[in-house]
Amino acid sequence: MWAQIINVILGLWLMVAPSVLSYDQTGSNNAHIIGPLVVTFAFVACWEITRPVRKVNFLSGAWLLAAPWLLGYSETLPILNDMVVGALVIGFAWVEGKITTSFGGGWKSLWT
Amino acid sequence: MNHNDDPQIPPDWSYNPSAWNQRIPIIVLALGGMGIATYLTLYQLRVLSSVWEPFFGDGSEKILNSSVSRLLPIPDAALGAISYLVDVVSGIVGGTGRWRTMPWIVIVFGLAVGPLGVVSIVLVILQPVLFDAWCTLCLSSAVISLWMIGPAMDEMLASLQYMKRVKKANKSVWKAFWGNEKAISQVH
Repeated sequence: MWAQIINVILGLWLMVAPSVLSYDQTGSNNAHIIGPLVVTFAFVACWEITRPVRKVNFLSGAWLLAAPWLLGYSETLPILNDMVVGALVIGFAWVEGKITTSFGGGWKSLWT
Repeated sequence: MNHNDDPQIPPDWSYNPSAWNQRIPIIVLALGGMGIATYLTLYQLRVLSSVWEPFFGDGSEKILNSSVSRLLPIPDAALGAISYLVDVVSGIVGGTGRWRTMPWIVIVFGLAVGPLGVVSIVLVILQPVLFDAWCTLCLSSAVISLWMIGPAMDEMLASLQYMKRVKKANKSVWKAFWGNEKAISQVH
């Protein structure tokens, strides 16, 4: 759960970063879109029953690594920020954490 | 507290997701969300002349009077209030075994919680991107709608697992879905 809380904080940081660092308009929009998404998936994944949702943030993190180059950010600091945050988000999305409750085989049991 | 002797616990579960101690927190959250959304609706309908905004200056006014908020015949906050009301009602209806005795209401509940979360997040994204503004109470409502997803999904999983057992036993999933008593007595 702590790993998902860190990703919530990283997502919140992305939401405020454009008003702190010198983002251009494209980078700012990107951070304002991806930030809430990172928060959403990480926050929902705080509960054990929906912990698998953390994996959606692999995509958010991968996009943050690529976006500065694909969208052509004009400033260095936002490029660095997005890439560092992206790498961290992927890392923490990886951490499943403790599952102490049993859910009758979980979601997997529905397809087997 | 040990609930393991509770006959309403689904097979191989450590607790009963339909127990009141599981459902009341979600109902309280939904009531809170409904309160916020109703307040914002009253502002959008001009029943109230101003709206509470502690952090973002005229942010709330910008957002609540934006083009997006008037896309539908009713203000968008009213739609939120209605969704929260559906969550409250579908959270209250049924006893502590409803994952098995009333799967339909559990599914309605789960499906009502999901889209509310999705719409809230889309609106959160649109705030800075389209209008360069934030709205404190809109953000609070989004947090509440996300907060309900995890706690509501466990019950939905228990109902889906139950209907799968019904199917495996070659009984009518349709009847089980609507809580037919004979169907319930045949499969746990």
